[in-house]
Amino acid sequence: MPNVKIEMRVIFLSIFLLFTVFLLLPLGTLFVRSFETDQGFGISNYLSILSSKDLNEAFGNSIKISSMTAVITTILAFTLAYAVNCTRIYRPIKTVIKTGILIPMLLPTITYGFAIMYSFGNQGLLTKIFGRNLFEIYGFNGLLMGYVIYTLPAAFLLINNSFKYIDKKFIIVSKLMGDGSLRSFLNTIVQPLLGTLGGAFVLSFILSFTDFGIPASVGGTYYVVATQLYQVMLGSIPDFNNGAVIAILMLLPAVFGVLLLNYLEKLNFHYDKFSNIELIQHKCRDICLGIISSAIIVAMLSVFAVMFIAPFLNSFPYDLTFTLKHVLSIFQSSNLTDIYKNSLLVAVLTAVLGTLVAYCSAILNARTSLRGKSTIDIVSMITNTVPGMVLGLSYLLLFNGSSLKGTFTIIILCNIVHFFTTPYLMAKNSLSKMNPSWETTGELLGDSWIRTVYRVILPNSASTVIEMFSYYFINSMVTVSGIIFLVTAQTSLVASEIKELQHFAKFNEIFVLSLLIFVTNLFIKLLCDYFQKKQSINR
Amino acid sequence: MLKLQNVSKQFDRKVVLDDINVEIKTGEIVSLLGPSGSGKTTLLNIILGLTQLDHGRIIFNDMDLSNVSMKNRGFNIVFQDYALFPHLSAYENIIYGLRNKKGLVSETELQEYIDFLELKPHLAKKIGELSGGQKQRVALARTLVMKPKILLLDEPLSALDGVIKESIKQRIQSIAREYKLTTIIVTHDPEEALTLSDKILIINQGNISQFGTPQEIINQPNNDFVKEFILKQLQIKRQNIYNLFGEKYA
Repeated sequence: MPNVKIEMRVIFLSIFLLFTVFLLLPLGTLFVRSFETDQGFGISNYLSILSSKDLNEAFGNSIKISSMTAVITTILAFTLAYAVNCTRIYRPIKTVIKTGILIPMLLPTITYGFAIMYSFGNQGLLTKIFGRNLFEIYGFNGLLMGYVIYTLPAAFLLINNSFKYIDKKFIIVSKLMGDGSLRSFLNTIVQPLLGTLGGAFVLSFILSFTDFGIPASVGGTYYVVATQLYQVMLGSIPDFNNGAVIAILMLLPAVFGVLLLNYLEKLNFHYDKFSNIELIQHKCRDICLGIISSAIIVAMLSVFAVMFIAPFLNSFPYDLTFTLKHVLSIFQSSNLTDIYKNSLLVAVLTAVLGTLVAYCSAILNARTSLRGKSTIDIVSMITNTVPGMVLGLSYLLLFNGSSLKGTFTIIILCNIVHFFTTPYLMAKNSLSKMNPSWETTGELLGDSWIRTVYRVILPNSASTVIEMFSYYFINSMVTVSGIIFLVTAQTSLVASEIKELQHFAKFNEIFVLSLLIFVTNLFIKLLCDYFQKKQSINR
Repeated sequence: MLKLQNVSKQFDRKVVLDDINVEIKTGEIVSLLGPSGSGKTTLLNIILGLTQLDHGRIIFNDMDLSNVSMKNRGFNIVFQDYALFPHLSAYENIIYGLRNKKGLVSETELQEYIDFLELKPHLAKKIGELSGGQKQRVALARTLVMKPKILLLDEPLSALDGVIKESIKQRIQSIAREYKLTTIIVTHDPEEALTLSDKILIINQGNISQFGTPQEIINQPNNDFVKEFILKQLQIKRQNIYNLFGEKYA
């Protein structure tokens, strides 16, 4: 590793300052506010919240529904990943699974709820197709469905990635040793994946526990913590101190979950070598899993089908004649186009600046011998733990009286901090795999450290940088929970506007805006994939 | 001439180098030989300026370089894994440093280096398309065009196989003779050190076990470690060849 240079210290200090002001201080403020009462400091806020029947019920509901979501999601994600990695089903089906599963990630969670309503409601698309109401959508059922759709892509990506590190040669060895199908499956697939499966469970739990978009749209009278927090903060009588208490309590399962995730990581097997082997022929297995996995994907995507149909019909489901009037009215409404431009501005700036912050942090940690660099890992653990709503609320409390209030800057900063962990880990992982002598070589060849980073390190990690940009952009476009407390009439974003339009039952506008987000995200995703592919061909 | 005077280094209170005193003449090839963890790479890094020494001095041509930064010492290194930049072609790697030091070598000189290392047919290739020996030569060319005052090589032959190893060995010797370039090589292979160097510095547990010519090491080993580490290994090698092919080849 190169000797410590002044440039490294300057960058480290800037990053340290950024996270002190926009992560540690807001969370500290939140913590202090949770103890603030009319009579000074005390635990009376906590006592009042813990004795509130509604809130206790909301916590119970959140835990119950998040646990159920986590179980269902983990099973479905495992089934899909198993079908992709351990069967010989028709290759295009595998491609459809791998691509289709990512589609919900391109949409705000609040849209999921409206798609469920328009699919399974009394006049819903799927209700019409099946000829009857399949279930009551408002409340538990709708939430469960929304949460499963929301958490399935993330859980699948996690499990699918772990499957790549399972040596499938052991399946053959197990068969040769006379293991039956079940024993072989348990020993060679389930056992090595135990840590990851646990991880997928915890991840799904945390995501559902802290999401605001789905309960905001389809929660009905089934209260969960996120909706309670929203009501306390932005209801008829805002109560900042009690809001802070709920946020702190909301943080607890997330903290516990992240600690559990770190522990579960240790359960994973690490094989020294991976051999590429031909999977054993098994027609029955392939047919069954082909059907099951296709059904899962079709079921998941069918919920969103209405979103692509309703905005192009005169008045779904009553007048089904084709029209572009809803789409055109959005583009003619200067208010909504301005909001779309706001979203684009926030997403681009978040992606550019967020990538810069995460990349610099990763380079300092992975490729320098700076003292104190491990604090960045602690920061990334904290940002991984703090739910978007909690972070947004803490900003509201700290910056309420400041000039940052109601600006795009605060929204962008909140997004950068909220989504920091994943891009940071992507960059750290990629940078630590590169030749450790490049900086020294660059220096011996007359480069400054910054110049070597620009001329050598950056071109060799371009693919990761593009992926980081894409991650930040897409998440900034879809997030609701992170920014719901920070947007104002002047800084309104598409995802938050959808929440507003809900009050006026403007579902066509909601779907057109959702489509706009979807198309924009898809465009960015395809563009980034193209550049990444181009990078790998050039290598 | 390069003088190492009372050079010492500790890592986490563990002594890695203890009072090393050596003089290396200009144009000499010197191997730093020792088992893993003996301190030879640390010594190489201290000479390069990558690692700061705790005590002692590094003197080159009567100038104390102990507190001179790596960049300003004017020495250069070829790393064990070559550290070539994979996004650049072989040629772009070779001229990488010349963008920072324009006019350091003329176009004719550059071509001479390329011809000398027989790299002409490979200049347009990406690093991933080169063999181990070709990579080694590109790394050597990239370092040589910077006209280093001392050439440092970290295990230069460890990643190469038999015939290429011999050809690179000869090339290193030719470079040192042709350019009168002091060359310091880290290796753990006694045979490599004996056949490649003018002098060998044997290090064990941070101390010098012996510093001398290959003949002196073979004929007058200073202590049991030298006998065990160097001579025993050579004897085993010789015995293996004898067992396989008989006396003619042993």
